[in-house]
Amino acid sequence: MEKLTQEIRKTAKEILEKGQANVVIGWEKGSAWYISTPVFIDKAEDVERLVWDEYCVNNLAKYLLDYKTVEGKVAIFVKGCDARGVNRLIQDKQVDREKVLIVGLSCPGMKDEKKAKELGKNAEIPLVKKCQECRYPEPIIFDIFLGEKGKKEPAKGKDFSDIKAIEKMSSDEKYDFFSENYDRCLRCYACRNVCPACSCRECIFDQSKSGWLGKANNASNNMFFGITRALHVAGRCIECGECERVCPVNIPIMLLNKKIIQDIDTLFGDYDAGLDPEGKLPLGGFEYSDPEEFM
Amino acid sequence: MGNCNCGSEPDIVIPGSNNNVDTTLLVPVRGKIIKIVEETVDTKTFHISTMDDKKPFDPQPGQLGMLSLPGVGEGMFSVTNKGENHIEMSIKNVGELTDELHDAEEGQEVGIRGPYGNGFPLDYCKGKDILFIGGGIGLAPVRSLIMHCIRNRADFGKLTVIYGARSKGDLTFKEDLFKNWPQVPNMELNVTIDRAEEGWDGHVGFVPSYVEELKPKPQVTVLCGPPVMIKFTLPALQKMGFADKDIITTLEMRMKCGVGKCGRCNIGSKYICLDGPVFTLEQLGELPQEY
Amino acid sequence: MLVIQKTKIKEILDTLAKEYKVIVPAKDGDTSKFIPYGDNTEMLLEENVQLPPKDVFFPQTEKMYKFKSKKNTMEIENLPIEGGKQLIFGIRSCDMKSLDCLDQVFLTKGTDEFYKEKRDKTALIALSCTKPKETCFCTSMGLDPQKAVGADVQAYDLGDKIGFEAITEQGKKIIASIEGQLSEESVVVPKFGEFKINVDVEGVPEKLKGMFESPMWDDISRKCLNCGACTYVCPTCHCFDISQEVRGEDGVKYRCWDSCMFGEYTQMAGGHNPRPTKKERVRNRFMHKLNYFVERYNMLLCTGCGRCINVCPVNMDITAIIKQVKEAE
Repeated sequence: MEKLTQEIRKTAKEILEKGQANVVIGWEKGSAWYISTPVFIDKAEDVERLVWDEYCVNNLAKYLLDYKTVEGKVAIFVKGCDARGVNRLIQDKQVDREKVLIVGLSCPGMKDEKKAKELGKNAEIPLVKKCQECRYPEPIIFDIFLGEKGKKEPAKGKDFSDIKAIEKMSSDEKYDFFSENYDRCLRCYACRNVCPACSCRECIFDQSKSGWLGKANNASNNMFFGITRALHVAGRCIECGECERVCPVNIPIMLLNKKIIQDIDTLFGDYDAGLDPEGKLPLGGFEYSDPEEFM
Repeated sequence: MGNCNCGSEPDIVIPGSNNNVDTTLLVPVRGKIIKIVEETVDTKTFHISTMDDKKPFDPQPGQLGMLSLPGVGEGMFSVTNKGENHIEMSIKNVGELTDELHDAEEGQEVGIRGPYGNGFPLDYCKGKDILFIGGGIGLAPVRSLIMHCIRNRADFGKLTVIYGARSKGDLTFKEDLFKNWPQVPNMELNVTIDRAEEGWDGHVGFVPSYVEELKPKPQVTVLCGPPVMIKFTLPALQKMGFADKDIITTLEMRMKCGVGKCGRCNIGSKYICLDGPVFTLEQLGELPQEY
Repeated sequence: MLVIQKTKIKEILDTLAKEYKVIVPAKDGDTSKFIPYGDNTEMLLEENVQLPPKDVFFPQTEKMYKFKSKKNTMEIENLPIEGGKQLIFGIRSCDMKSLDCLDQVFLTKGTDEFYKEKRDKTALIALSCTKPKETCFCTSMGLDPQKAVGADVQAYDLGDKIGFEAITEQGKKIIASIEGQLSEESVVVPKFGEFKINVDVEGVPEKLKGMFESPMWDDISRKCLNCGACTYVCPTCHCFDISQEVRGEDGVKYRCWDSCMFGEYTQMAGGHNPRPTKKERVRNRFMHKLNYFVERYNMLLCTGCGRCINVCPVNMDITAIIKQVKEAE
């Protein structure tokens, strides 16, 4: 990975010097050895800040929205999940394909920073759960590709075992499980702000005037937030797992998203979001052959 | 904080109301709208008393009050005048709460709490010639000081008013401008509208250029209006040689608690609801430009 | 010093529970916070909890008064302020200092009754720390991790035992009530571990005064996501919103935590927003912590607990920003 870091820096330098983009979005080292954090390089001499290691877990696609109205191209480094995130934004017409210069990196799977903190530098640190289940470690969209392909064996098929475990619970047990979790929700909106599929200019939860959701924090309001957000990104979730990673109180947010993905697979046929920027969304299109007469 | 405070620290005075509710800092008193005056097509002045026909609180000129409609929300407004038994707030229809207020009728019960803010520096202004500059609804907070000067006429020097609005229909406090104030001794009124229109034979032109035209020579200037008016009037005043400490304005920010605790209305280390809303230009110069 | 075996700490808490509602740092689902002590509480005494104790005094959502509105009339009914004698056991130095900061906000220049009621009725037993977490930096903020300021009783983590030292009159009463369960021993308070983070705050508040327009804020704010995670886990952040919940004629006015990071925080009716982009909001947050609060109350609004660094999705680090300010021209 050290060699790849050098290549990344060289590529970024070239991109800036040749004027192929005005800013390069990548990762740099953070406050600890198990943290790599997003960085924005706009001067060629700063490229030494860029790194590539097994803690580059942040999904950078969301930052493209900040550059929507800024002149010039944006270069972005992507892993497998990040590339799907970029596709998502292109598919939603939030980002122009021409605006982005995508540099792909084959992802070996990212290590779990929470376990890294516990176990220490010399231990064998496991991959983050979402990386263990990842089916698209190779970026599927890129302009430049660095390094070798095939760093990780993609998982075969979707793993819904945790969903099935909850489906087996009784209604009361399910209610207790979810209300116990969402009781803790702080409504900090970190999950919404980090999600590449959440790109509304004005989020429904910011519209305090219309009264969709009061600001009060209680299990009922919090569950409404969780369920609504999961439904709003239905059919568009790329399973990058960022929502669950960033939650300050460790709510298992991906359970809701995966359940919806399972249902979409059943109702609309196997579908993976973010693969084809021109593709049709299962919940965003209508076929005459659909069983329902109206959407 | 300079010499710009009217006496001591603003005391948070919460009077009891007639339903004997022991109020705490953020709980309003029950009041009612006793009169509504339509100033312009989108501005109304509300006269508010408590349920037993007294003033809800005794504001100094420039202070603010938090008016609430149950079930809709609360908003901070400047008190534009006070009477024996009521206070007046002039409110423009710009949002959800103000929209509902504009639909209200006389007799509507409201929540009211205050007074908040530091008010104008009355001691500093005593005995001086004062220039009042207002634009549109910006005249409302300045009016509280004008009314105070009129009520205590002997304590103040020459009063000059320069006021402008977009059109004749947008002029607020028409009764004061054209009927009451012209009768006040040693008070000069200059009203302008942005563009000529039928039925108006007064001055036509923007406030900043009108100020330059009139070349007033006051000792203290008080101004309030839309940001664009302030942006062009301030350089005109500074060009005429007025010192920063003699130019006073009143600011606006989104406010929720009104008592400097919720953290929302700060500009730098000052809370607009507590240390403001009245500031001299000198004080503003020390604050970060974030308003 | 009067001590007790760590394994027997629950006996002390049971005794105290007869007189107070005892609140302890404990696991809560997948996170940890200060919760009421009960039979099944899984206490967490090895390290500080993830969520701060500010919600004991300043709950996330707090009902202020009820109202009824019918046609054009209204009624207001004050709600009794929730309170009652409480005792927090196991609060750390950093969190104790945060209470000092919150006192400045809520108890000066007008008293906030909701906060005062709880603050007056809550006794505090501070617990010393033995080793810092990766993200702790309280000593850089001028605090002593083994001696909190403002507590009624200082408890010391002595390894397998916990020692108690009364500080205030109320603290003496508390010790008296549990004296029978403690034994007098001579002890040595363990030496404190090394901090990973050391940052020099000297001169930073003054320097920041002239740095409002610095280009540094553009760079710092770029990766921020503008969520509210840092503000909600920060023990000193205290911004709140006031809103209401209405059902037909009845309504409740409540106040709830708000965050200066949210876009509509300073949004005015009529459309103007003095902090329209994240740069202004990020700048305001750090200026408030390191400069505005110092100007108003002569203390930093950061106690070095490190929770924000721990929780931030993109690793915004206040110590890195302090270093950057210190090193800037």
